[in-house]
Amino acid sequence: MSDRPLPPSDPGLPPLLGCESCGLVSVDALAGHPDRGRLVQKCSRCGHVLHDRKPMSVQRTWAFVVAAAVLYVPANVLPIMTTVQTLKREEHTLIGGILQLWADGSWGLSVIVFIASIAVPVLKIGVLGLLAWTSRHAPAWRRLERAKLYRLIEAVGHWSMLDVYVVVILAATIRFGPLAGVQVGPGLLAFAAVVVLTLFATYAFDPKLIWDDGDPARADGTTASIATEPRHAGRRA
Amino acid sequence: MSRERDSLVMCGQCGMAHRWRPLVPGSAARCTRCEATLGRGHRLTLPTLLSLTITASVLFLIGLSTDVLSLDMRGVSRATTLPGAISAMWSAGERSVAVLTAITAVIAPALFLGLRLYVLVPLMAGRLPRAFAPCVRLLHQAGRWNMIEVFSIGTLLSLVRLVSLADAMPGPGLLAFGATMILLAAIESAGLKHLWWQVQ
Repeated sequence: MSDRPLPPSDPGLPPLLGCESCGLVSVDALAGHPDRGRLVQKCSRCGHVLHDRKPMSVQRTWAFVVAAAVLYVPANVLPIMTTVQTLKREEHTLIGGILQLWADGSWGLSVIVFIASIAVPVLKIGVLGLLAWTSRHAPAWRRLERAKLYRLIEAVGHWSMLDVYVVVILAATIRFGPLAGVQVGPGLLAFAAVVVLTLFATYAFDPKLIWDDGDPARADGTTASIATEPRHAGRRA
Repeated sequence: MSRERDSLVMCGQCGMAHRWRPLVPGSAARCTRCEATLGRGHRLTLPTLLSLTITASVLFLIGLSTDVLSLDMRGVSRATTLPGAISAMWSAGERSVAVLTAITAVIAPALFLGLRLYVLVPLMAGRLPRAFAPCVRLLHQAGRWNMIEVFSIGTLLSLVRLVSLADAMPGPGLLAFGATMILLAAIESAGLKHLWWQVQ
């Protein structure tokens, strides 16, 4: 792929907003308006609310990330399922299940489950914490890498649900009374909450903040901000 | 197809404005600043998209109504469907898990397909469906929470785990969901924004 940016577009281009839903580009009518935090501009084509930046993005991201990190403890400590096999009860934690798969010789499976249940949630919590922190405190640090990290967690975020579905299917299928059965453990609920909270955190974070100058007012989405630098048009084929 | 009102395109990831140019099929336009994909040149045509959506809907309904896996243990057999697994969770008292599974594996994919059918059929006939804008916005959310692909792989994983315990067999539902997952990926790659170009 070759990078061949086109010459800059008209430097007199007004501040623009792209619609998240339909893609239509509108002029930011509220740019510089003192009541920006309270007024709302909607897309003229589809009616979707237009934001320069997602409102309260950093605060909401932190809230979801911290909640997910806290719940990640019970998700790992408490059993996610209890198996009963000929009257013998056995409790399984997330890590226990992975280690057991490894010990049984199912290395491939244990790696898949490790990635989905341990690596992806930890990556999401760590990356979102890093993105939220750097957007305020180190705005110029490795912007492109941070943008790529965000796209990575956006793409792999769903996969941490894997273990939740596995337990649901096992518990629904293995119903042989006292002979064999699977019950859902309290750890699964905590783990499911971690998955949902990290998804909320991903959607709460505004990746456009990575390219801002770290102005907290802009990150709050409450005060006026005018894009002064000319926007450049370009295309990479 | 008119793209006149879309002569500019903003990068959804970083907010950089770019001048839109038609893309050669097979090529992708990337943002010059953050390298996110701005658009692709292999857009599926409306009839192709509609036929893929109909096929995926039929497969999804088959997946919902048939067994995803069955288990035989000392002569006693058990088979599970996706709705059956959700109701088993609900009656076992695990209501949050049941609701979460229902939203991500049933409701979101159903909305993903149902709303597309609702929108695409009138568009094919050259009419604008009622409440087009809210439908497209809801489709955006349905795409975010649809996890049928993770469910399919999760079922496959449970199957592999069960094989060591008892006589486990994949059901037709698992195959149907697997095929649905591939079709949904193809439909999703076409995006939503181009639907608006039909409208003006």
